[in-house]
Amino acid sequence: MKAFQYATAHSTSSARELVGEKGAYLAGGNDLLGLLKEYLVSPETLVNIKSLPGLNKIERGEKFWTIGALVTVAQIENNAEIKKVFPGLHEAATEIASQQIRNVATVGGNLAQHSRCWYFRHRDVKCLKKNGDLCYARNSENRYHSLFTGNDCISPVVSSLATIFTALDATAIILRDGNELRWSMAELYADAWSQRLAHNSLQPGDLILRVEIPLARSRSVFLQASEKHAFDWALVSCAAAAEIENGKLKSPRVALGSISNVPHQVAAANEFLNGKVLDDAIATQAAAMILQGAKPLEFNGYKVPLAETLIRRALLKLKGDA
Amino acid sequence: MPSWPTETKYISHDTTRIDGVAKVTGRARYASDIQAEGWLYGMILRAKWPAAKITDINLEPALKVSGIKAAVLARGQEMTVRFYGEEIAAVAGTSKQACLDALRAIEITAQPLPFVARENDAKKASAPQVWPGSSNHPEPKPRERGNVEAAFKDCAAVIEGFYSTPVQIHNPMETMGNTVSWTDDGLTAWSSTQGISSVRDGLAGALKLDHSQVRVITEYMGGGFGAKFGAGAEGVLAAKLSKEAKAPVRLMLTRFDQNLAVGNRASSFQKIKMGAAADGTLLAFEAENYGTAGIGAGGDGGGGGGGADIPLPYLYKVANSRVKQSAVAVNAGSARAFRAPGNPPASFGMESAMDDLAVKLGMDPLELRLKNDPNPIRQKEYKLGAEKFGWKEKYRKPGSSKGVVKTGIGCAGAAWPAGGGNRNTQGEAQISPDGSIEFRLGVQDIGTGTRTVIAVIAAELLGLTPGQITVKVGDTRFPPGPGSGGSTTCPSISPTVFDICTKALEQLQTQTGIPDARGKNWFAACKKIGINPITVHGQWRDGLSSNPAGGVQFAEVEVDTETGQVTVKKMLGVHDCGLIINRLTLESQINGGIIMGMGYALYEERVMDDLSGVVLNPNFETYKLPGIADVPEIEVILVNMPERGVVGIGEPATVPTAGAIANAVANAIGVRIGSLPITPAKILAALGKVPPTHA
Repeated sequence: MKAFQYATAHSTSSARELVGEKGAYLAGGNDLLGLLKEYLVSPETLVNIKSLPGLNKIERGEKFWTIGALVTVAQIENNAEIKKVFPGLHEAATEIASQQIRNVATVGGNLAQHSRCWYFRHRDVKCLKKNGDLCYARNSENRYHSLFTGNDCISPVVSSLATIFTALDATAIILRDGNELRWSMAELYADAWSQRLAHNSLQPGDLILRVEIPLARSRSVFLQASEKHAFDWALVSCAAAAEIENGKLKSPRVALGSISNVPHQVAAANEFLNGKVLDDAIATQAAAMILQGAKPLEFNGYKVPLAETLIRRALLKLKGDA
Repeated sequence: MPSWPTETKYISHDTTRIDGVAKVTGRARYASDIQAEGWLYGMILRAKWPAAKITDINLEPALKVSGIKAAVLARGQEMTVRFYGEEIAAVAGTSKQACLDALRAIEITAQPLPFVARENDAKKASAPQVWPGSSNHPEPKPRERGNVEAAFKDCAAVIEGFYSTPVQIHNPMETMGNTVSWTDDGLTAWSSTQGISSVRDGLAGALKLDHSQVRVITEYMGGGFGAKFGAGAEGVLAAKLSKEAKAPVRLMLTRFDQNLAVGNRASSFQKIKMGAAADGTLLAFEAENYGTAGIGAGGDGGGGGGGADIPLPYLYKVANSRVKQSAVAVNAGSARAFRAPGNPPASFGMESAMDDLAVKLGMDPLELRLKNDPNPIRQKEYKLGAEKFGWKEKYRKPGSSKGVVKTGIGCAGAAWPAGGGNRNTQGEAQISPDGSIEFRLGVQDIGTGTRTVIAVIAAELLGLTPGQITVKVGDTRFPPGPGSGGSTTCPSISPTVFDICTKALEQLQTQTGIPDARGKNWFAACKKIGINPITVHGQWRDGLSSNPAGGVQFAEVEVDTETGQVTVKKMLGVHDCGLIINRLTLESQINGGIIMGMGYALYEERVMDDLSGVVLNPNFETYKLPGIADVPEIEVILVNMPERGVVGIGEPATVPTAGAIANAVANAIGVRIGSLPITPAKILAALGKVPPTHA
């Protein structure tokens, strides 16, 4: 990696000042150090934000819970209350990477992590996402790539937390030049949909402060399909959340990861499910709506049936059937 | 003829590793732990192109980087690059970062050349030639016996299948590498190697030194499966850097390096046609196989080439057979010997074909094997294993398992023709008046428990405990031992230790007058030695070891037909290796072989990009290896055959695993996945669930 300045921030304002336009925030470092070592990013300054006050707490509120950006994935995984209140969030946390990584990986870092596309990550390949001329994946090894994209880059979002937060309708609070922006997950990733170079909507200096999760959905589920049984990326992940009243779904949300450059959700499918009594046929119908328009490439077509299965299973599990 | 004792206290029992505590406490010094005084980091610059003509390499800017003490060329100022990751130059410096900066500073003038990365493309006449002037795919020479065409006509059932295996990359836990110190007094290399002698000879040859000037030390090393026999480009470069920097240089490969240039198992693409009579007797066999060993099989000293040819029809005798096979050159890192070279792909192809034929014949696949496998030991092992595994109770017709998650079982066999001992193995023991005894053998312990094997045998024969035996290995100053490969280590050193012990007892008797110095007489006898210790020299003796080794394995799997995920529920290995020396480390080796075979079956695959020519997965993120969550219950049954003497086990332990798992998957879902690794994508495709591709 290239040489950099290193500073520790003790307030969000000093963090912003220290990071400047060419710096990077350092929390768990799992993604950032990999990017540095491969020379994919070369910030002038690393600003250690681990000491920022108040951002490592999980706080219970009456209408929503707040999860600080410095809360580790392991903290989520081990929080017994979260397991009860947001079971899908607990499940998502347990699926992330390995125990060692979960111990240091933060919520903010998980949301902000960059593409895992093996062309993007390769030191000797200059792909579209690195301002090159060619999407290699589209024409070659695309087994792990997207079924949906809003631009010509097909590297999917892989944040498991983004997937479950989407289903839980969570809000990310971003500090941008002294102002707090309140973004839906869709907004947090909107730029990745429209711009090949982006992997989220964060601008230099933006800092994720916390995530607010409304208590509107007492049932939630996260499922992931991988090649291996642990410590492996999702081929497809699926989160679902809802309330069930009198046997009927209320405010259901379904979101998928690893099939699009944003957390994939289809508003029409959520509306379709609203008020429905779940059964296999309804779940299958919803899955078809969610996956409509998928554009499989040479080697990632299997993601379509895989996603269909996970949607169906997640919905039925939401109901308590599976 | 000498013979092993029949009543034993340690041999064929369980002894924990004598170096276990040193290993788990970190006291054991691995090659990558060596910190010779004043040592420098060494790193290699590798080609960014799969093929290129390099016309100039300027090392000057690297030497200007702060902390850099030396920079050397791998081949010369001009060179032709033939694969992505080929060595170009190397630097040594006071920090890793200094080396990284220096590698980036080196200026190269190069003209990229056309390349070909995939086997199928390389076969085409229009493909760029990996070695200009010679075909990427020389015409194969058929090996033929009997009358194949006529025999097929007599068959009651004939199957045709296509079975393929990927390139599997050598990824031992410790990467390849050395610390080398080259001074006027000679050269010392602390090497992560399977063959201290072959590294010594390789370094001496490459650097034009006398063998006596080169010392290689391997106290501990983190695994080697066939790729770690030679000095390697990395060893020679470390030595050159050391000479130039006048300091020891530690050059351990990064994981990225490891996945590019230091060996792999060749791929295979096997078209098999096979037929049998109604009773299952194999009558006709025809196979066409090609695979790639990259730019060529790289015989890196000692370990053999690791070429693309595989032994077909493997375990089975077929009176009429025709086999055509050939290697296909591509611009990629070369193959090297890899745990039972040729056998795992042959086993996968052949055992898959056997099960497919069994389906066609309406036969139990185990019965088809018993009908055709001529080896009496495997016959016994299949029967023993089937009983233990509950084969009869569990076996159902392929695809008949109900529900979304289907279960299936499969089996496969292994042979390993070698496994006998190296006749030149020597060793010595020094016995002191205080009763302590130290064995010194110029062998190395690659993690298989070689030290413990020596201690177990010595304890048994001398009437001591393994803890009383000091064992020193891994130094070319000790009497010469074998390379640790080909399942030959145990049958090489065991008779040697036997000989040393026999001679030690003889000498003690002569020198002390005590007729039997063993056990309770040991200390009394040693006391009478005199002031100086005695040293006895021994060598390999005939009659205490043999070959070959073999085994069979059974697999039980669950396949989720909606996600395509395979979960191996149980593996049973039934293996023979003659006289068992230490049951515990032997079982451990079979566990390891099975886990490695699982990786081959389900996860591992080098992915070459045909657009850029790079290896896309030179890391453990996407070059996937089994983790503990993937590993099932493994049961090992050892067939102890003391009458055969000592036989090695390293290779056959991994050979049949992939075939057994693949057959279990086919049995579960009723469709053959003919291509390794068996991924969710392939299973969903085979089940007809994948929609057509969007153009």
